Amino acid sequence: MSLKIVGDVQVGFPQLRTGYGAQTYGNTQPQTERATWIALDADGGITAYAGKVEYGQNIRTGLAIEVADELRVPIEAVTVVLGDTDRVPWDMGTFGSQSTARVGWQLRKAAATAREVLLTLAADRLDLPVAELEASAGRVASKSDGSRALTYADLLRGQEIEREIAADPPVTPASEFTVMGRAHKQRIDGIDRVTGRAKYSQDVLPEGVLYAVIIRPPAYGGRAKRVDLSAAERVPGVARVVEDGDLIAVLGEDDEAAALGARVAQVEWEIPAGQPSRFDLPALLVSSGQEPFVMQERGDLAEGFRGASLVLEATYFIPFIAPVPMEPRAAVAQWEGGHLTVWAGTQRPFGLRQELASIFGIEESQVRVIAPEIGGGFGAKSPYGLAHDAARLAKIAGRPVRVAFTRYEEMMWSNFRPAAIVEIKSGSTSDGRLVAWESVAYHSGDRVMIGRRGSETPYDPPHVKSTVYRSDSPIPSGSYRSLGAAVNHFAREVHMDELAAAAGLDPVEVRLRNLSEPRFRRVLEATAEAFGWSGPRMANGHGAGIALGIDVGSYVATAAEVSVQEKEVRVHRVAAALDCGLVVNPEGAANQMEGSIVMGLGGALFEASDFQDGRLLNSTFARYRVPRIVDAPRIDVRFVGDDTTPSTGAGEPGIVPIAAAVSGAVYGATGQRHRELPIQRYL
Amino acid sequence: MLTVTVNGVEREAPQGGRNLLSYLRFDLGLTGTKYGCGEGLCGACTVLVDGQPFRSCMTTVGAVAGGAVTTIEGVAVGDTLESLHPVQRAFVEEQAMQCGYCIPGFVMSTIGLLNREPHPSAGQVREALAEHMCRCGTYQRIERAVERAARGDA
Repeated sequence: MSLKIVGDVQVGFPQLRTGYGAQTYGNTQPQTERATWIALDADGGITAYAGKVEYGQNIRTGLAIEVADELRVPIEAVTVVLGDTDRVPWDMGTFGSQSTARVGWQLRKAAATAREVLLTLAADRLDLPVAELEASAGRVASKSDGSRALTYADLLRGQEIEREIAADPPVTPASEFTVMGRAHKQRIDGIDRVTGRAKYSQDVLPEGVLYAVIIRPPAYGGRAKRVDLSAAERVPGVARVVEDGDLIAVLGEDDEAAALGARVAQVEWEIPAGQPSRFDLPALLVSSGQEPFVMQERGDLAEGFRGASLVLEATYFIPFIAPVPMEPRAAVAQWEGGHLTVWAGTQRPFGLRQELASIFGIEESQVRVIAPEIGGGFGAKSPYGLAHDAARLAKIAGRPVRVAFTRYEEMMWSNFRPAAIVEIKSGSTSDGRLVAWESVAYHSGDRVMIGRRGSETPYDPPHVKSTVYRSDSPIPSGSYRSLGAAVNHFAREVHMDELAAAAGLDPVEVRLRNLSEPRFRRVLEATAEAFGWSGPRMANGHGAGIALGIDVGSYVATAAEVSVQEKEVRVHRVAAALDCGLVVNPEGAANQMEGSIVMGLGGALFEASDFQDGRLLNSTFARYRVPRIVDAPRIDVRFVGDDTTPSTGAGEPGIVPIAAAVSGAVYGATGQRHRELPIQRYL
Repeated sequence: MLTVTVNGVEREAPQGGRNLLSYLRFDLGLTGTKYGCGEGLCGACTVLVDGQPFRSCMTTVGAVAGGAVTTIEGVAVGDTLESLHPVQRAFVEEQAMQCGYCIPGFVMSTIGLLNREPHPSAGQVREALAEHMCRCGTYQRIERAVERAARGDA
């Protein structure tokens, strides 16, 4: 007794099939082409299924809002199931701000299809034409006589219906939204989060679980030369020790026994000599640049520079920073015969399922990956090798095994945001109009798409060339909120401020003179107005900065007010405007913007991961500073998009312009231009 | 045998040297208290001991023997919004959370603050929460939630 709406899983591919997700994880393919997206059961329960995971973006609420609006029910009536490979449609991974843009749209179409089915059923039962019926508050009723009505549960009693998502279902126009775009006081999983009931991978403790500590080298590239686990084995509470190829571990009946065992284990390491340190980084980035890729080219640079009366050249440096999710990775694996279940806070449950099937030579149908609540990820939890280790250890031990990173391990063995050098040469007329723009960027890491994101200039110089190289990465680098976009935007937007100063123009004015795209102009003007922009030098001695950008299809601008005292920058307030098209859940989107801004302040002001001889020098919170409540400014976010424009991402754009806005504000306060991050290191 | 009271229930703790966070999470299954750093710097493991905030990752069961430990599970009386502690309700109403991993710790420290100082200034709020981390960056909302709870408006 149910109504199921099924449809293809193509939306689980990132929109830009040639982009980062497809390039990095495109070998992950769906096992089935179709899946159930929405199910209504006989007692009226509505369940929506999505292959995304929840790691703070609040998509559980966002998707429920979309389904609730289309099905004319309150949000609380919708249950959203996420991130369980046995239950949800295939998905490549939760990255690139695709959840609302792609999966939300699919669920809206599925829900609109379900509504049509319910209307048709009601037409039959009430003997009225569909045109005279309307769905509302979980019922279908006659438009003229509200007493002639049937609840969804009534309509579905005794029915067993499966329908394909209609090609062009009657999704609700923006003018008729009653749930979407409205302020909602709560998120649907809010109570679980304040009561400790929300379960994260760190909290999964199956009966009989063993606690594993994996012994890893103290430096990158280290290999075990000699391993002696006999002392570890004798520690009371240690169940067994494991040496299986490169996997060395101590398994305990409790966490402290395993940790003590690992501490007394004797392992001699071979560490590769001559690994670069942070001081070698800028030169290394340039000297190891390879695979130049021209992201943008028009006109003729030489001709452009010949016509320029103002030529500026500058180099920008952005170091590695750590993602630092509050929940260090954990994974729990349990074998039942040849069937494997893994709980892991991964952003790619289906990718992990495929990896596990491949490691153990079993069918994907024999592997179930469950991503419970995830305590932050920011892109870094796409690779999740810890789950491979847990599954190997569980197989060896014949019992469920839990592996959890310490904070030190999470810092050391995660992926850092790639470091970069960006060289920019611009040519302008004396009134600040760009005629030529040449940018060459070197981003560390072998995933070339990371550095390419956001490397095109949104301004209008007639002669442009933007080239991106990939360079060697002395420490592991990978995805991080907005990938390289925040890095590329920092360089470009600081350069625009330099142009403003050189041309004697206001930073807002110089940008407007070079921007024709109305959506860019709108976010910039809205931000300037919200902030009360009056130039970089503020009357109270503070400095102001402003910058703009685009990421995941959304247009964004940000302004910041700072004061500087000796080596400390204080950010007092930030104003931002975002155009991400239709805003499904304004409170959720604002929360994402605020969070992106706070996260971006860390990289702008004080975050940098330091390394030497393959060792990470700041791998604890005592040595690696991230923004705290005392660092958090007042933030004012405005949405200036059009609700008839399809939704684009809201989770990443906020981090894109903030570092340049802060750099500009510090310039306003001190007269010092900051082309290197983090700024406080160079004060 | 040591005894320790957890959420109102007196328990016999097997080993005084057991890490308090591990004891709560793994021995008692009270997983709402989180591990974040193991060095008392992020606040995710905060519980109340005799009404005041305490970093459970940095201490042992023996150190709190005889005392009353309250974890996030012991704060609300029921499952509905109305039955939550006013501080929890304020966090829900301000949507002061994203991933939520740090939130139990913030809630416990806020309850401790309001126990000491029912009407804290903005500076006192920041000071009380300065050693908590929220990487999702919801600080502005957390400040609003604490203000709301202190106003009695939750």
